[in-house]
Amino acid sequence: MNEKKKKNPKRMIRLQGIGASQGIAIGKVFLLTGDIIKVEERTIAVAEIEKEIKKFKRAVELTRKELAEIQIQARQRIGKEGEQIFDAHQLLLDDKIINDATIEKVQSECKNADFAYYKVMQGFQQSLENVDNEYFQGRLADIRDVKRRLIRNIQGKEPHYLNNLTNPAIIISNDLTPSETVLMDRQKVLGFVTNVGGKTSHAAIMARSLEIPAVVGLQDITNVVESNDTIILDGNQGVVILNPTAAELNKYLKLRDRHNEITKELSKIRDLPCRSLDGKDVDLSANLEFPGEINSIITYGARGIGLFRTENLYLAKSELPSEEEEFEEYYKVAEKVSPYPVIIRTLDIGGDKKPACIDIPEEDNPFLGWRAIRFCLEKADLLKKQIRAILRASVMGNVKMMIPMVSCLEEICKTKAIIEQAKAELRAQKMPFDEQMELGVMIEVPSAAIMADVIAEEVDFLSIGTNDLIQYTLAVDRGNANVAHLYKRLPPSVLRIIKQVVDAGHSKGVWVGMCGEMAADPLATLILLGLDLDELSVSPAMLPEVKRIIRAATFEQAERIAEKALQMKTSDEIETYIRNVMATRYKQKNLY
Amino acid sequence: MGVHARPAAQIVKIASKYKSDVYISKNGREINGKSIMGVMMLAAEMGSELLFKIQGEDEEQAMAALVELVNNKFYEE
Repeated sequence: MNEKKKKNPKRMIRLQGIGASQGIAIGKVFLLTGDIIKVEERTIAVAEIEKEIKKFKRAVELTRKELAEIQIQARQRIGKEGEQIFDAHQLLLDDKIINDATIEKVQSECKNADFAYYKVMQGFQQSLENVDNEYFQGRLADIRDVKRRLIRNIQGKEPHYLNNLTNPAIIISNDLTPSETVLMDRQKVLGFVTNVGGKTSHAAIMARSLEIPAVVGLQDITNVVESNDTIILDGNQGVVILNPTAAELNKYLKLRDRHNEITKELSKIRDLPCRSLDGKDVDLSANLEFPGEINSIITYGARGIGLFRTENLYLAKSELPSEEEEFEEYYKVAEKVSPYPVIIRTLDIGGDKKPACIDIPEEDNPFLGWRAIRFCLEKADLLKKQIRAILRASVMGNVKMMIPMVSCLEEICKTKAIIEQAKAELRAQKMPFDEQMELGVMIEVPSAAIMADVIAEEVDFLSIGTNDLIQYTLAVDRGNANVAHLYKRLPPSVLRIIKQVVDAGHSKGVWVGMCGEMAADPLATLILLGLDLDELSVSPAMLPEVKRIIRAATFEQAERIAEKALQMKTSDEIETYIRNVMATRYKQKNLY
Repeated sequence: MGVHARPAAQIVKIASKYKSDVYISKNGREINGKSIMGVMMLAAEMGSELLFKIQGEDEEQAMAALVELVNNKFYEE
């Protein structure tokens, strides 16, 4: 008799991925392994060939009908963009080269149709897999989607639709195809987590449209979880927590409820100003990753865009966008947010962001290497093209330009020289632009923070980028598990630097904002208010929460809290202190 | 949203409307312009110069349509 071993309670595991769609979900795992197709190689009799070819053609027809239905769903649920994704699927299905090659393989090698098709697709897929960029990863997802569907139909198997889920669950899968995503039932699919994917993959884009929380790029989570495990998915932070402890679960349940409550309260707070009880205004704006997110950002009540990341215009493309393309994207966003400002950050590539359309060499130490403005200044044509596009868009509204990764004054002077060239060209071409367009720099390198007073003399504003500033100040790579614990939320060293930068900016009469994660951290809000930051740019989902905290405090109290925090010696001490303040002032315990 | 431009699909759709054979080459590599897989493989190559070769009864109309597509930047919004 086999004695069943009682399983030890599973250990809590925390995994960092990429937050593809915001929101928090808590639930049971539904491990989706149905995406693995099995194809057997068989040799068929010559007499069977015609039958096999017919089978293939019938499967193509059936697939065409399925795709047409999905396309209707996509149009209804996601809109024109969703519909277009499946245009490409139809074209792949009808691709003469693929289908002829499949039939040829059945005829000449006497192979079964599903195997022949599989082999043909495999050949194409392999040559695309070697192209290491997000754009082609996205195309591969299309190819896989069509391939699976057609093979399933050749084999005469039933589709496994996610909407056949009986209980609400969090889907864990290697990859989700666009068609799987678009058919998701919002009531049953609490969220999804995948091994592969990036922010611009189709599944991610659709998840945002459908408002389903998602974390992607977790590499091998399908090997770590089992169905019915409990899992927490935090799409805001890109984190998943497996088998959470009671305390962790409790914390996230509260966070989720809070998030839902806020969503409900949103309509009440969204049109109210971000003003403290004693009348101090903070410009609360949002970070914009994709121009398409602009509508939801406005829904969340943002007064402007404090950081428009332009990398995605490049990352998702196989070729450099033209000046016209860039101009149109910027123009559209400026038009949408006008009269509020949009701060467009020039290209911040290098480090971990490498577009296919720009050749950036491998480096041993990319975060200290050739990235952002350092790269752009060497590629002056690229930078000038972008600056021209930004300048041209400035006629449409309140556009400001910001330079990332500045480490010394010389970089600002060089960039300004290129701006002047661009302006001179535009004047000569009689193209209108805003002569007074504000220029700012990101303060994210300690050397720039220390020299903030000098830098402030050259620009109109400073915006503190806390993610890199913390990383560079503490010399900690957050992605390195051995040192990640040294990366803190509220390091006293960084708070001192922030104070110094704000004071330096104000002494030179320029405004100072913040656009890193700290700006959206509710635990930091009172300190930042007290340090007199003029602007905070946060991820859209955090807008109402930050606004709520500021609206319930006075600037005077916040100043005292900041002062006290600055006298403390460790990040933990500061966190504990702020938690206590929040608990008494806002009646919220252990919320953040 | 324009995140994923779909120029490959646009080329294939237009090329497929015509009876003529449409071949596109880049860096000396030539593919059938009516095959989306072919166009995607071509797009994976570095460089941006495309050479269209069109042959058949409606070759002039086909060329005009493809040139218009390229000149209009693939009708991206």
